[in-house]
Amino acid sequence: MGRSADSRKGLVTVAAVVLMALLAGCGGTRSFDNSPDQSAEGAILIGVSGPLTGDNAEYGKIWKQGFDLALKEINGNGGIHGRPLQYVFQDTQSDPKQTPAVAQRFVANPQIVAVMGDFSSPASMAASPIYQRAGLLQLGITNSHPDFTKTGDYIWSNSVSQADEAPALAALTVERLGKKRLAVLHMNTDWGKTTADLLVQSAREKGAEVLLQEGYLLTEKDFRPVLTKVRDAAPDALVLISYYNDGALIVQQLDAVALTVPVVAVSSVYSPQFINLGGKAVEGIYTITRFHPDDPRPEVRAFVKAYREAYGTDPDTFAAAAYDGMKIIAQALAAGGVDRKAVRDALASGLEVETVLYGRSRFGPDRRLQNPRFVALVVRNGRFELLAP
Amino acid sequence: MLTVTGLTKRFGGIEVVRGVSLTVREGETVSIIGPNGAGKTTLFHLIAGAERPDAGEIRLNGERIDGLPAHQVAARGVARTFQNGRVFGSLTVLENVLLGAHARLQAEMNRPGVLGDVGNAIRETVQAVLQPRALRRREAELIEEAKEILSLFGDRLLPRLHQPAYSLSYANRRRTELARALALRPRLLLLDEPTAGMNPTETAEMLEVIRLLQQRGQTILLIEHKLELVMAASHRVYALDAGQVLVSGTPEEVRRDPRLVEAYVGKARPQAPGEAALGAQGAFGALAQ
Amino acid sequence: MIDQLVNGLVVGNLYSLVAVGITQIYGVANVVNFAHGSIYMMGAYIGWIAVTQLHLPLLPALLVTAAVTALLGMVVEWVAVRPFSRSGRTVLLLSTIAVAMVLDQGAQILFGPETKPFHSDVSAWRLPVGGGSIGVLDFLILAVGGGTALLLHLFLSRTRIGWAVRATAQDRDAALQMGVDVDRVSRISFAMAGALAGVSGFLVGLYYRSVHPTMGFAAGLKGFTAALLGSLGNIPGAIGGAYLLGIVESLGVAWLGSSYRDLIAIGLLIGVLLLRPGGLFGPVRTLLPEPTVGTFIVAGRTVSVPRPVLYTAVVAALLLPLVWDHPYWLQVLAITWVFGLVAISLNLLAGTAGQVSIGHAGFLALGAYASAILTTRLQVPFGLSLLLSAAITAALGVLLCYPALRLRGQYLAIATMALGQAITLVALNWTGLTQGPKGISNIAPPTLLGYQVTTAAGFYWLSLGALLAGGWCIHRISQSHLGRAFRAIREGEVAARAYGIHLERYKSTAFGISAFFAAVAGVLLAHLYTYIAPDTFTHALSIQILTMVVLGGLDSVVGAVLGAAALILLPESVRFLAEYRFLMYGLLLLVLLRFRPRGLLGAQ
Repeated sequence: MGRSADSRKGLVTVAAVVLMALLAGCGGTRSFDNSPDQSAEGAILIGVSGPLTGDNAEYGKIWKQGFDLALKEINGNGGIHGRPLQYVFQDTQSDPKQTPAVAQRFVANPQIVAVMGDFSSPASMAASPIYQRAGLLQLGITNSHPDFTKTGDYIWSNSVSQADEAPALAALTVERLGKKRLAVLHMNTDWGKTTADLLVQSAREKGAEVLLQEGYLLTEKDFRPVLTKVRDAAPDALVLISYYNDGALIVQQLDAVALTVPVVAVSSVYSPQFINLGGKAVEGIYTITRFHPDDPRPEVRAFVKAYREAYGTDPDTFAAAAYDGMKIIAQALAAGGVDRKAVRDALASGLEVETVLYGRSRFGPDRRLQNPRFVALVVRNGRFELLAP
Repeated sequence: MLTVTGLTKRFGGIEVVRGVSLTVREGETVSIIGPNGAGKTTLFHLIAGAERPDAGEIRLNGERIDGLPAHQVAARGVARTFQNGRVFGSLTVLENVLLGAHARLQAEMNRPGVLGDVGNAIRETVQAVLQPRALRRREAELIEEAKEILSLFGDRLLPRLHQPAYSLSYANRRRTELARALALRPRLLLLDEPTAGMNPTETAEMLEVIRLLQQRGQTILLIEHKLELVMAASHRVYALDAGQVLVSGTPEEVRRDPRLVEAYVGKARPQAPGEAALGAQGAFGALAQ
Repeated sequence: MIDQLVNGLVVGNLYSLVAVGITQIYGVANVVNFAHGSIYMMGAYIGWIAVTQLHLPLLPALLVTAAVTALLGMVVEWVAVRPFSRSGRTVLLLSTIAVAMVLDQGAQILFGPETKPFHSDVSAWRLPVGGGSIGVLDFLILAVGGGTALLLHLFLSRTRIGWAVRATAQDRDAALQMGVDVDRVSRISFAMAGALAGVSGFLVGLYYRSVHPTMGFAAGLKGFTAALLGSLGNIPGAIGGAYLLGIVESLGVAWLGSSYRDLIAIGLLIGVLLLRPGGLFGPVRTLLPEPTVGTFIVAGRTVSVPRPVLYTAVVAALLLPLVWDHPYWLQVLAITWVFGLVAISLNLLAGTAGQVSIGHAGFLALGAYASAILTTRLQVPFGLSLLLSAAITAALGVLLCYPALRLRGQYLAIATMALGQAITLVALNWTGLTQGPKGISNIAPPTLLGYQVTTAAGFYWLSLGALLAGGWCIHRISQSHLGRAFRAIREGEVAARAYGIHLERYKSTAFGISAFFAAVAGVLLAHLYTYIAPDTFTHALSIQILTMVVLGGLDSVVGAVLGAAALILLPESVRFLAEYRFLMYGLLLLVLLRFRPRGLLGAQ
């Protein structure tokens, strides 16, 4: 008797939990689907799949600022064919378990004509086949994975592939700085490995010798052993394919192994965090970037001015990429018409788009923007400064 | 049937069992007595394969079994109960007893093959999923057999067939353990204090069960503190002290042996030499409480 | 060579700080404290606040850190250790993991996910050694490490409380009868270990000039490794193990490369555990431990779901896509079913056979990679690849785990965690086979009987089919004599062996079956995501799977599925829960272990 009462209690608990989940689910769904309802009659919707919570939440928040600035300008100028442009942001935490479901949601919503995101490669690429099959444009704004656009002809990106950045970094190191004996350390991730391989290839073509190329784990903290190897190889420059966290750790450990060669780092270290974390150790480090607020190009000047007015801080590359992404889709909509296929066809037809990062550019056959631009930087007095030509 | 010669076991330099030799003949019930720490349970561990001896040998029907892992000793027909009682708490009474038959069931299912154990494990898994009729029939037979074994204890366990063992009384757990051992159809049954913690009525019931088993020709090696039980049930007795066989013989012989009294009393009451005058019976009585 | 030795000593120095704390707790409470790394991380943050926000000088900052983390250690003891002191070690393992989750995510919410710079004006003076140099901090860390070890030794051997601590470690019940206030002793040792962890975190944060919320996990793992190498509970052993680990790692990095560092550490650990399960400085164990409450599962039986309810639920689930055309939720449910299968597979291993694995994501990774490679490189059709990959994973899983089967309880759990990590590290480093960090992309969607599954409803049915088939198989196994043997192993290895159960064989079988079905789920995920990389299958995923099983009810197939459903659907429905996901998991685990240790579907 007592036991069966217990079992019943157990079942009731289970039922309650499941019911709660379902109720919460319905509640959640409703609150998400509210956003389109609140939109003005006849608004054109863009889906955004990205992180608003979790480890990468800060990037999603920067994206939003870029999008909002772009929309203010687009809708301030009368929208697209007189209709306002809006976006629906679905939080995925940049988790590949969640992006396919969000993709299904966007695909099922006929109001959505194009999608931007997601942030990381695994998360973005898990969703790509769904967009491709549905014929819904996925514009990756941070996806440098070389295979990202290969899923199909609906998968595009305004992010620079490593195939573009690595030669630019090699040009700075070998041609501008005149270094011929290089050691390369890279973070052992899809991005780090690809970039390092391309860099090594490009540096060799430019006549440099690569003495050592080595990967390190994402969680690595103690770089003394690997830096000892670098020192013993006696290079004349160290190239880092790192993010700012690990990049700052590496340069701070240089003096522990008495390694004194110049350091050139990939564009991802271009962040105030790199200088905060690295302190004095990052002085004199070279890097390149697609975007610097001091860049004298007029499109950059205009964007930085508008961004400062809106948010009171300088924009970074992520904000510029998000801003560009929204602008690119708006231009494709204006040129091709408000339709999923028309947007893609407009981009495929060689439409010239105006962007902050690339200036005026077109998409190439690899569905990425052509002719990326880079500026060289050096850290001086705790700031990234343009490297005088 | 069981021949133990010169068995020795050391734990960290201390010899817990020192050159013990004993024999158990077919159909015989042999008891091992001795004060706490005499090495009785360790001797059981050694015979059942839970521990490896440092010296000496154990033969079961002429085959050496010392050093074999416990599951292989079990497969050769040695079943044991544990001093503290080790029923599988979350399993039902029936499941506990069925587990006793595991070694037999496995012996029937195993086939020699190129893959050996791997092949057998895969076959066993596939059969568990498909549950072919032969397996189901075997399971049904085993359940009947288990019920039959449980009926030895009258209605103590049969009505509790599907109750988890942890919900049983202490005495019933000991009974379940014995039933589990019997399900192995052991050639040699090792009982480690089967009546520990039982009241006189329950002890008497257990004695009945042991008698019944003896009538069926079961060979038993028994560790017991309760002298009445030892006297009533065993054909021969070995008394152990400090890891060595002190006295052996029929229950009557052992009981009269003065060395035994000394071993017990000298140890149990070192400050009260006057009480050494007590007979062995008294010493046993004191111990049994 | 000399330089690499110095490098090894420098990093070993850092490891030893953590290892000493872990080993001390083990020596006292007989528990591997998974929250140690989290207290270390909190110590780093408290130090950071003290130095950069409150501008305290070094010594007062150290004292403040030690005081606060000592308190934190006592809180951990109060919340996660004392209530479970009689529940068996595996419950303690889970409860400390739960506290670690809460602390890690709590720090992330409190301080933000980003790395904080942690500079101080500790003298920049450095002593040249060989071609490199060592700094003031290295000496300070050495002094703190050696000093605390010495103090601990004196405390344990010379003071009355120290004796009480040692007595409790040896035999809790006997100590209790001798009048030792066991709770107080336990509290004191957690406070001491907490203070040590905090100070370590502070110093290491200062050393790397940065602090971040996830720094504790990696540090904790290295600390365990060092403590295990040197025999748990042995303080000089832990220090020796730490230096050994540091040196082997540094030499290994010099020889193989930096991304092999963790693989080298895991290899060293597993090698030592196999050859000397007690560690390098411990006695070779001769006596089998006598478990009196030796099992993981609290006594009790599982609630059975009435058949009509179950059948109705299955039919409703099968018909759902026909009546509810909502691709988003169908996709979410499809992933729920896949994880339901994973949870069932772990449940057989942990719940039925009592072998807790905290590296289950490794099996998922094996299956996913096997199928990705078979289908993209060898053009094996999906159906065949599914079976082949599952069989390969089962075989590899048994082969990898076989040496670890001799280990019990907490040691086994740590070994499975290490194996899970090792599998992803191999996927990362074996570039020729797995494309290393780039991962494998463009994996074809599943094709069955010539029909390509591309819609949400298709995935839904496919994964539901896999779940039902897998659930049915595992249910049958669980009800057979095989399941009975598994339970017997869980309930008592000594008794199980005495009744003819060959432990290695049956544990291997359990690992094999579990790996098989986990791999099926892994294959489905690979073809569902179409892209996999080593970081798709993380340690966090393993913990998530374990939480599902504990939540739903150990040894209950239906419970495991419900656990998976709750853990996937709840954060999906309530976004604010998603952000605090691990906080929620941690709290959920603690509450369940405390009040419903057999999960939602378990009765007492």
